[in-house]
Amino acid sequence: MFFAVLAAIIAAIAVVGVIAAILLYRQRHSKKHVHINHEVKQFTTVVGTTPFDNPTVAAGKLNGEVIVESDSAAKMKPSDGLRGRIALLGGFAAVIFSALAAKLWNMQIMSNEAYASQAEQNLYTTVTTPAARGVISDTNGLPLVKNKVCQTVLAENDVADDADVTRRLSAVLGLPVNVIRKRIKDASEGAQSLRVVSSEARMRDVAYIAEHSEAFPGVSIESRTMREYPYGALAAHVLGYTAQPTEEQLAQQKEGRTIESNDVIGQAGIEVYYDSVLAGDRGQRRVMVDASGNVLDVMGDIKATQGSDITLTIDARVQYLADSLLAQTIAPNGTIGEGRGVAGSIVVLDVRDGSLIAMSSYPTFDPSYFTGSIPTDIWELYQTDEAFAPLNNRAINGQYAAASTFKAFTALAGLEEGFATFDSTWVCGGSWDGFGTGDVQRCHLHTGHGTLDLHGGIVNSCDVVFYEIAKAFFDHGPDGSGEISATALQEQIEKFGFGSQTGVDLAGESAGRVPTPEWKAEHWRNVPSEAQWRGGDYTNMIIGQGDVLVTPLQVAVGYGGVATGKLMRPHLLKEVRNAEGEVVVSYEPEVVSEPDVKPEYLDYVRDALHGMIRGNSTIANLVDSCGMDAAGKSGTAENYGHNDNAWFVTYAPYDDPHYVVACVIEEGGGGSAVAAPIAVQMLSAALKAEEGTLDTVPTKLSGSTGRSVPLSYQSASARDD
Amino acid sequence: MAELPQITTLHAAHAIQSAQPHRKRFFRFNVVLFTVVALLVSYGLLICWSATANDPDYSFTRQAMCVAAGAVIMILLWHFDYQHLANMYLPFLIITVVLVLSPHLPIIGVERMGARSWINVGMQLQPGEFAKVTLVIFAASLVARYGGVLDDVREYAKCVALLLIPFLCIMTQPDLGTGLVYLVIAASVLIVGGAKARYLIGTLLIGVALVVLLLCIDEFFLKYQTASGDWEYRILKQYQRNRLLVFLNPEADLAGDGYNLAQAKIAIGSGGLFGKGLMNGTQSAYHLPEAPTDFVFCILAEELGFVGSMVLIGLYIALMVVIFRIARRSIDLFGTLVVSAIIGMWLFQILENIGMTVGLMPITGIPLPFVSYGSSFMIVNFIMLGLIGSVWAQSAMTGKKGGYATPR
Repeated sequence: MFFAVLAAIIAAIAVVGVIAAILLYRQRHSKKHVHINHEVKQFTTVVGTTPFDNPTVAAGKLNGEVIVESDSAAKMKPSDGLRGRIALLGGFAAVIFSALAAKLWNMQIMSNEAYASQAEQNLYTTVTTPAARGVISDTNGLPLVKNKVCQTVLAENDVADDADVTRRLSAVLGLPVNVIRKRIKDASEGAQSLRVVSSEARMRDVAYIAEHSEAFPGVSIESRTMREYPYGALAAHVLGYTAQPTEEQLAQQKEGRTIESNDVIGQAGIEVYYDSVLAGDRGQRRVMVDASGNVLDVMGDIKATQGSDITLTIDARVQYLADSLLAQTIAPNGTIGEGRGVAGSIVVLDVRDGSLIAMSSYPTFDPSYFTGSIPTDIWELYQTDEAFAPLNNRAINGQYAAASTFKAFTALAGLEEGFATFDSTWVCGGSWDGFGTGDVQRCHLHTGHGTLDLHGGIVNSCDVVFYEIAKAFFDHGPDGSGEISATALQEQIEKFGFGSQTGVDLAGESAGRVPTPEWKAEHWRNVPSEAQWRGGDYTNMIIGQGDVLVTPLQVAVGYGGVATGKLMRPHLLKEVRNAEGEVVVSYEPEVVSEPDVKPEYLDYVRDALHGMIRGNSTIANLVDSCGMDAAGKSGTAENYGHNDNAWFVTYAPYDDPHYVVACVIEEGGGGSAVAAPIAVQMLSAALKAEEGTLDTVPTKLSGSTGRSVPLSYQSASARDD
Repeated sequence: MAELPQITTLHAAHAIQSAQPHRKRFFRFNVVLFTVVALLVSYGLLICWSATANDPDYSFTRQAMCVAAGAVIMILLWHFDYQHLANMYLPFLIITVVLVLSPHLPIIGVERMGARSWINVGMQLQPGEFAKVTLVIFAASLVARYGGVLDDVREYAKCVALLLIPFLCIMTQPDLGTGLVYLVIAASVLIVGGAKARYLIGTLLIGVALVVLLLCIDEFFLKYQTASGDWEYRILKQYQRNRLLVFLNPEADLAGDGYNLAQAKIAIGSGGLFGKGLMNGTQSAYHLPEAPTDFVFCILAEELGFVGSMVLIGLYIALMVVIFRIARRSIDLFGTLVVSAIIGMWLFQILENIGMTVGLMPITGIPLPFVSYGSSFMIVNFIMLGLIGSVWAQSAMTGKKGGYATPR
């Protein structure tokens, strides 16, 4: 600082010296002129002036008045009278130059360091390079989602108007000119970003463009890692997909994870739930830039680190069977409506630790549609009703009436509340009007089941038995004797996780619904006549109809609870490995709750579920042929205006349950007929996979075509269970 | 105003008779003025070279050629007797008005960034720049008629009214920056031309009142909403208001309106004592738009530091000292007024241009004399130098002649 001040003073002295020298020079030279000028008289008489005492000299001058001046006045310069005025101008100059010099001194010498550091900050900036996402593999380490490096050809948006460049691109990439122009004009990734001309260009073509870059102004090449799905649509809903972030996602940054516009982030399934695990750390390059952001020089480079790998609990072989069974059942030739049902879902759950072995939903999609560019026709088809929402994961978001699968839980509710005992018997005549309203409710077997106990009621899925139990709940409730609350039945059902999320590691899980008087009043608040909680609400709920909604995953978890006495949190994550391959996270099984139900009641219901399988010869033969001892329950949900939804849920082995399978086929018809064979096959596959005897080899599956025709198949006029 | 009688001077007759034949013989260069100008222009070109070297939008060769052309024009004018231009205020007023309004002409007029300031006659020119020359002559000859005593309020008012005409014309383009320069030229001529102090102060007060009145009218009657829903003003446009706000509160909007000022200050401040060296400036080169034109001082200050800035200011001071003396020594009031008007104009431009980059003045588009890139501007400054040279040459010649010629 001292040096700086000293140098500045020297500089200032030098400047002053130069000025002084000039002044001196002028002084010496001007003397001559001054001397000579004093002798000039004629000129000054012309325009020269001294103010006279005439008040308006100016007006006098204008009138052409020639003022003859005295000799002494004539010797003066015309400007002599204005000496003061010129000095004033000089004063202004002095003030201006002093002010500027002082300000510059202050900025450049006194505050130099602050400004210099700001200039430094301005000059350098850190740009980040995207990191590859982690690999997702199945429980046996088979990769389901990998990365591939793609050469992406990018273009600035004004290239679309350059006919020469688009024609050259067309020739090199083998794409029609109009397609190239359309892709460049597509602003879906944001107006500022470079437009993708080709996301998977061949190395040869890329090399050609790079070598002849002067012929392709505005065109650039970038290596991008892209998601690759070796098995296509296999487990598509579990895996989810990735895409560039939307405006909204960019605006709402999650903590600990910064998303940039050219990132690829998870948008569904595991990809979004474990996005922060899968996403790596972006590389950092310290670069010198100008105001427009052009990189002038690279100062430092930290390489990006790949995201952690995820191992799922999913067994690709079992998943493959589930996906292909659903596809074969619903759309054997790719068109929905040619098989049975219009959509479906299978959940295979390990009841011991909550691991999901398979989770399947149909119709499905190929996640690679979202990494490259999804064909517009398919995307548009997927948005129509005709496609039956292929992006919807029905295992967690499909909400259906539980139908008779609910009877396991409502039977336990009856036993717990004492409205059914091991000795209770009821008579089924095929129809029932227990409330005496004249609104006759029918058993699915219109001829009636005769006299039944609770075991028989479950095995035969007799509705009348359960209507009687429901009536007991009603009669003891607030509208009857008032011994129990209006939600006593619901509380028993909710012990098994219904009406709330299971907590699976997927985003946006549906909670289903166990209707309560409060819910009904709210739901029908605009139609007071419907808002009344009635006896019929009990009878509907107890057979899993009416306002009851459950997801396939909830049913699987609930039956797991019946089978083991414990509700496990279902999960897909097995372990997380870091970029070095070390296991950093290992999933610990979590018991959500142990339903407060007497063990003998559970045993009684399990026995009945076992009996249900044994009692249906077709299913019993099927189970036997797989060498299993299974328990289960069918369900056929009424679906107003459409075919019935087919349900089957089963677990095995009966005495030491390992797996539970829940299967639903929308508009599939009867549960025993349509869903049971699928569920039993899946259960068998899960057991074989555990034993190591499953010889299925997964291959690439394709997504739904999105096409459908009206369902040709019609289910029986009445439910068969 | 045509009825106003012209001053018929004895001098004019004399000049034609005796001064003219001797001009060549007695013509001399003013060595000091020539040296100062040469140093200043070379220094300006050096900075301009550094500023434009890496920018394809600007051509240093073109700038150098302008300097050469300017020098030729200056020498020609030096030989020319400026006194021929005296008493011709009306023709020069008309020329000024025609020049200033020429961008409104249908074929040659060019509209750029919302202003009609350019004409295209084979090359793009700013007639408003050239009008500064005619304005200086017009203003000087107008006020010179009063012989240095402007003490009649009616005559003073007439002068002010006539001097305001070019300003009002340039505001139709609109170009506030050049308009302010016109006002400064007019003010310089009035101050040096002997207008009474209380008239000048009165004019200033009326001017301030008028500005306030116009702003009020703007606020209450002329404000309108644009399609985007923002308010826009008809007299002082929103961007000009923003520049004023930035001047008053530089920290308010660093990424938007305050960006240029902030970057300019960083450029100047980071220069330090000796600067980063020519061509080594990063700040002004990469972060300042229009660096070679309006923000050229930032490049100088960043690359050559405080010492470099002081050299420029020193050269300006030297130039001022030299031409102040020429103003003092002029043989007629007209010459004094011409030189004073040029002094006032340059002083204002230096103050405004450097002042805006350091935050002392609001930002307007006024270039830095002899340094900023721009052909019209450079040539106009040389014409001004030529006029100054002519004033000096006439006084010097008269001096010589007076020494040797026999007085009548």
